[in-house]
Amino acid sequence: MALLDMSQVTMRFGGLTAVKDLNLELNSGEIIGLIGPNGAGKTTVFNMITGVYKPTIGTIRFNGKEISGMRPDMITQQGIARTFQNIRLFKELTVLENVLIANHLNIASNFMEAILKLPRYRREEAAMREKSLKLLDRVGLLEHQNDKASSLPYGLQRRLEIARALATEPKLLLLDEPAAGMNPKEAADLTVFIKEIREEFDLTILLIEHHMDVVMTICDRLYVLVYGTMIASGEPAEIQSNQQVIEAYLGVDEDAENQ
Amino acid sequence: MRRNTILTAIALLLLIGFLAFADNFFDLYLVRILNLCAIYAILGLSMNLINGFTGLFSLGHAGFMAVGAYVTALLTIPPDVKKQIFYMTPIMSPLDVMNLPFPLALLVGGLLTAFVAYLIGAPALKLKGDYLAIATLGFGEIIRVIFTNTQSITNGALGLKGIPNTTNLWWSFGTALFTLVVIASLIRSSYGRALMAIREDEVAAESMGIHLAKHKNLSFIIGAFFAGIGGGLLGNLLGTIDPKMFTFTLTFNILLIIVLGGMGSLSGSVISAFVVTIANEWLRFLDEQINLGFMVIQGKVGTRMVVFSVLLMVVVLFYRNGLMGNRELTWDQLCNSKIWRGLSARKRGTAIAEGGEK
Repeated sequence: MALLDMSQVTMRFGGLTAVKDLNLELNSGEIIGLIGPNGAGKTTVFNMITGVYKPTIGTIRFNGKEISGMRPDMITQQGIARTFQNIRLFKELTVLENVLIANHLNIASNFMEAILKLPRYRREEAAMREKSLKLLDRVGLLEHQNDKASSLPYGLQRRLEIARALATEPKLLLLDEPAAGMNPKEAADLTVFIKEIREEFDLTILLIEHHMDVVMTICDRLYVLVYGTMIASGEPAEIQSNQQVIEAYLGVDEDAENQ
Repeated sequence: MRRNTILTAIALLLLIGFLAFADNFFDLYLVRILNLCAIYAILGLSMNLINGFTGLFSLGHAGFMAVGAYVTALLTIPPDVKKQIFYMTPIMSPLDVMNLPFPLALLVGGLLTAFVAYLIGAPALKLKGDYLAIATLGFGEIIRVIFTNTQSITNGALGLKGIPNTTNLWWSFGTALFTLVVIASLIRSSYGRALMAIREDEVAAESMGIHLAKHKNLSFIIGAFFAGIGGGLLGNLLGTIDPKMFTFTLTFNILLIIVLGGMGSLSGSVISAFVVTIANEWLRFLDEQINLGFMVIQGKVGTRMVVFSVLLMVVVLFYRNGLMGNRELTWDQLCNSKIWRGLSARKRGTAIAEGGEK
């Protein structure tokens, strides 16, 4: 059974159809790329999966359970975490606090226990801290733990955002343009990093990306979205040679068409 | 760590000593100002929790205070006094015979205010930014109008008189300290981090699994609880309350305190509560006739408020973070500050104060 299953999903904003009849399946352990020109509706797909939007028509199932229409925080609790196209860190808080916050969803103590610092809360807080520090150590941000998130260089902010998403212990990780604004070297590092965390945290990853090097090296399968419609899907090699995709990306040479 | 505990203990002892001294030797006017300072500190802290830490632009504080003040007053005024002040419309039962000791009445006032906040929070907190501000502002005015018109409960526009003056320095400073400790403990917990996450970025907070409505309500209710208690203390300090006290101006005063002190700084709110309250009294000379020698300025009541308005504008324009920004005054910081290092270095005759290092 697929981990995530979107069937016949349509999202309309008034008269605008952002995504139309989308079918998408993710199997456990896959890295799937979602590509397409700007404005194709890729981020809308993310927003539907994470509950920011409720699809106009269609169902989204995660682990066999229907999640369309659930609140975003409940979906995160089900095991879906995401990063954002424009980094959305808690800027004024420290790196450690950013990761700690992502642990809050599993807290069992209520706010009174937290205010009174009762034993159960103390235990939970200590466990959260240990887990977060370990995670920061893993992603190489331990030395920055007390820095303000906004003071990190851009590449590390991206990395922190991924670390924060990992702290919610997801099964499915959605990455919205993780390599945006990175140079080839940084993008290559990121590729390695994504592969590593997939193994270590036993993740399924869906990513939106424009860097074709990244997409082609790490993705098992690709979906291509153009104007809200999926025009192709398959392995990277197939997609690369797909005429429709090439046209969507490069445009059609009118002379060539006329001949 | 131990040094900080010792310093806290010393500071507490000094405060108790000062309060004992003030209680016995200061004149009534000074004692009253000190009481007001502590009460405004409570109000500032509670409003900062909602506005500064959770990022909810709420302007309903006067309304919360009104609920707390009225409940506490009604529960502490002796029954025979109640009969006298409700001479227009008799007070409804069982309020006419109800009477509780001051601390219990305060607690009931706080809890009822929290309940009111729960009721209005559920719909109002769905709004964001300016819309929330307008909704909560409306709530404050509605409470005031309701209190003016429910004569058999609140005595309407005549207000309540003869409230026992139970609030003294011990009550006001004790409650202020309690408020500070509770809110600081909340802020430093996982729940506090969740609230600040909501302030920083609602969308990201929600996608990190934070239940927005639940946490916003939590902050709103706890803030309202302490606002109610602050209102109760104020009523029992002044001895008389009426609906006109709880207009938007009161909310504005508290807003002024938290903006000047720094949104998101507890120590900033406390310091600013003292500064603003004392300055408010000290600047009274502006309301009176001033003789400059070559000319005489006729005093107008309210001139001193202009000073605060100008101050607020200056802060908002040039010094947006207020006194403390979102930092806190901690012992570590104080001990590491240049002044203290310089002093202790001179004392020991060494170049660097080792005590300043952890």
